[in-house]
Amino acid sequence: MSKKTRITSIVIFSVILIVLLAGIILLGKPRPRAESLSETMRDAVLHDSMKVSLFGIKDVNPGLISAFAVTGVVGLFAIICRIFVIPRFKEIPGKFQLFLETIVGLFRGLAKGNSPVKNGILSAYIFAAGVYIFVGTMFELFGFQVVTTSGASVSLPAPLSDINGAIAMGCMSYIFIMLGGIANNGFHGFLGTIKEFSLPLSMSFRLFGALLSGALVTELVYYATFLSFVLPVLVGVLFTLLHALIQAYVLTLLVSIFYGEVSEKKLEKPKKTKKKKDKNNSINNTITPEVSK
Amino acid sequence: MNVPLNIDWQQILLHVFNFTILFCILYFFLYKPVKDFMEKREAEYKKQHDDAEQALEDAQKTKEEYESKIAGAEDEISAMKSEAGTKNAEERTRMIEQAKAEAASIVEAAKKRGEMEHDKIVAEAQREIADIVTTATEKIVLSADVSKSYDEFLKSAEGNMKNE
Repeated sequence: MSKKTRITSIVIFSVILIVLLAGIILLGKPRPRAESLSETMRDAVLHDSMKVSLFGIKDVNPGLISAFAVTGVVGLFAIICRIFVIPRFKEIPGKFQLFLETIVGLFRGLAKGNSPVKNGILSAYIFAAGVYIFVGTMFELFGFQVVTTSGASVSLPAPLSDINGAIAMGCMSYIFIMLGGIANNGFHGFLGTIKEFSLPLSMSFRLFGALLSGALVTELVYYATFLSFVLPVLVGVLFTLLHALIQAYVLTLLVSIFYGEVSEKKLEKPKKTKKKKDKNNSINNTITPEVSK
Repeated sequence: MNVPLNIDWQQILLHVFNFTILFCILYFFLYKPVKDFMEKREAEYKKQHDDAEQALEDAQKTKEEYESKIAGAEDEISAMKSEAGTKNAEERTRMIEQAKAEAASIVEAAKKRGEMEHDKIVAEAQREIADIVTTATEKIVLSADVSKSYDEFLKSAEGNMKNE
C-alpha cells in the first residue's frame, strides 16, 4: 500500500466516523422507550408481557420462535450440505469438509472418551445438542426482530435464555441419560440415573442462568446510548461467543459423562465372598487345633 | 395452574418437539453421512495399514527363513571343514605310524641282513683261515723246512690278513 492510498483511506474513515457521530448527536434524545430498564430486565427473565403469537394458535415466549428459527437455519444448512457438499467429499479433505469432519469428530471423540460402551447414539445426541446450543446462542447476535402481541418489536433472544427452552434441554438430556442407562444396564441403569435426581434441575438452570445473564448484560449495556460504541464488540460478540462455546461444551460433556456412568456394565464383586471364605478358613484353622487337643 | 417463573409445560413440549426435529435432521442429513464417510475412509486406511503390515511380516518371515538357511549352510560348511580336518589328521597320524612301522621293519630287516652278512663274512673268513692254515700246513709238511715253512706260514697269514 502506497503512502497516498493510506492517507486517502484514513481520511475516508475519519469522515465516516465524524458523520456518524454528528448524526448521533444531532438526532438528539432517543425516542422514549416502551418500557423502563427494570421492566425490560424483568421481562427478559419472566416473559410476562412480551409474547409472540405462534401462527395465531398460542402466545409464546420469543425464545420459542428463536428455537424454531434456529432449527430452520441449521436444518437448511444440513440439507444443503447433504445435497451439495457431502456427495463431493474427497479422500483428502478440503477446508469445508475438514470443518464438518472436525465437528463430527469432536463430538464422537467426546462420546467415546467418556462412555466406552454403546456411544453411537450418544455422540449423535451430543452433536445435535452442541450444535443447537452453540448456534442458538450465537443467534441472538443477529438480533432478528419479531413483533409482540402488544405491538412492540423485540429482537429474538437465544432459545435457551427462555426458561422453558432450558428446562426442555435439561430434562431431555436427563431422560436421554436414563434411557441409555436402562438400555445398557436395565434396572441398575435406571437406579443409577434416579440417584442423580438433581441433574435435570442443575442442567436446566445452568443453561438458563448462563444464557440469561449474557442477555441481561447485553441489555444493560445497550440500554444506555453512550455505552453502545466500542463496548458491544466485547460484551456482545466476545461474551456471546464465549458462553456459546462454554455452554455447548459443558452440557455435552456432562451428558456424555453421566451417560457413560450409568451405561457402564457393573462387574460382579467376588471380593466379599472370598473374604468370607478366608474368614471361614481361619475360623476352621483356629478351631481344629483345639479340637485335636 | 400458575407455575412460578412463568414455566409453561406446553412451551417446554414445543421446545422438545423442536429439538427432536432438529436432531432428526442433523442426524440423517449431516451427522450420519459424515460419520459414514469418515468410518469408510478409516476402514480403508486401516486395511491398507494391515496389508502393509502383513506384507512386512511376510518379508520378515522370508528373511528369517533365508537367514536361518544361510546360518545352516555355514554350520554345515564348518562341520564339513572340521570333519575334513579330523580326517586329515587321522590320515596323517596313520601315515606317520605306517611310515614309522615301515622304517622300523626296514631297520629290522637291515639289521638282520647285516647280521647275516656279518655271519656270512665271519664264516667265510673262518673258512679261508682254515684253507690258509691247511695250505700252509701242507706246504710246511711238504717242504719240511720248519723255520722256512714257519716264516712262509707267517707271511702267507700276513698276506691273507692284508688281503682281508
